[in-house]
Amino acid sequence: MEKMDAQTFAELIARTGDKAYNFAYRLSGNEPDARDLVQEAFSRALEHGGSYDPSRPFDSWLLRILNNVFLDSMRRHSHTRTVSLDAPAPVEDAGWADLLPGDEPAPADELVKRESVDILQKALARLPLAYRSAVALCDIEGMSYEEIAQVMAVPIGTVRSRIHQGRVLLRKTYEELEKSGGKTS
Amino acid sequence: MTDHIEGAEITAFLDGEIASEDRARVDAHLVACAACGREWAALRHMKRVLSTSTRKTMPAELALSLERRFVSGTPWWKTPAKPSFWIPVGATAAAALAVGLWMSGARAADELPLEPLLAAHARYSAEALVPEQDLVASAYSDQLTAMYSDAPDAELE
Repeated sequence: MEKMDAQTFAELIARTGDKAYNFAYRLSGNEPDARDLVQEAFSRALEHGGSYDPSRPFDSWLLRILNNVFLDSMRRHSHTRTVSLDAPAPVEDAGWADLLPGDEPAPADELVKRESVDILQKALARLPLAYRSAVALCDIEGMSYEEIAQVMAVPIGTVRSRIHQGRVLLRKTYEELEKSGGKTS
Repeated sequence: MTDHIEGAEITAFLDGEIASEDRARVDAHLVACAACGREWAALRHMKRVLSTSTRKTMPAELALSLERRFVSGTPWWKTPAKPSFWIPVGATAAAALAVGLWMSGARAADELPLEPLLAAHARYSAEALVPEQDLVASAYSDQLTAMYSDAPDAELE
């Protein structure tokens, strides 16, 4: 593997380091795994730098590698409690009425105040992998649908569907966890 | 109103990812349809919760670890030290700590008040609890007693 000079590396880390780490944390749900994911993603990115298309953003390419590293690791460790990538989302089996919020007004500001970082992360960890990636890239990393489509290598329509289903399921799970005081069932 | 908007379309509207020609139609529907309006509010809430959640930043040691692997000419102070370096360093540090603690304890012993010691020694001498010949230090104790009995009280404190 060819090494780079310190300035190039510093620029690379400044531009992509936090984004990659935060995405890895949202995917894995814990910092040790996030570190491993980032290490592996950077290794693969720098080892296979020749396959990078300079006309596209480097961070999207890096996050795509990171996402693939994560999916590979989840497939290898299939004993994990995480729902598999191919598992149908519970929302697909639920009726529309089940998924709609209740009639009670739920002012966003009031609900935001109740946000618990732990509960949010637990709810994210319960999302099927494809939804978790899509929601994290859109709502946490602020990527456009087109960028997410590049990262996840799926059509934009699929991105839109996954983000929607992911948010609906996330809200449902988030509220269940809030009611149970954050305890997983 | 029975013709609800598809949820994914509400999501795209929320994310600003809807075609411009559909924007006005969806906007008008969300105002007119309470159920779709609630759905939009719920999705917006979830988006806000996620987008305002605390971001994790890359730990410095991870950046350093990557730098060691991928940067040429990494300076010596950023080079990872091997266990063969850290073991003697750790042993030396532990020894220094032990000596420090021992000296601290010795100093504490030096700072014991003399009065009770002298009083105890005088009591042993008076009551002859030990043979006369064993009271080797008694003369020294007498000298100390004389010295401190003349000293102002403040010096004994």
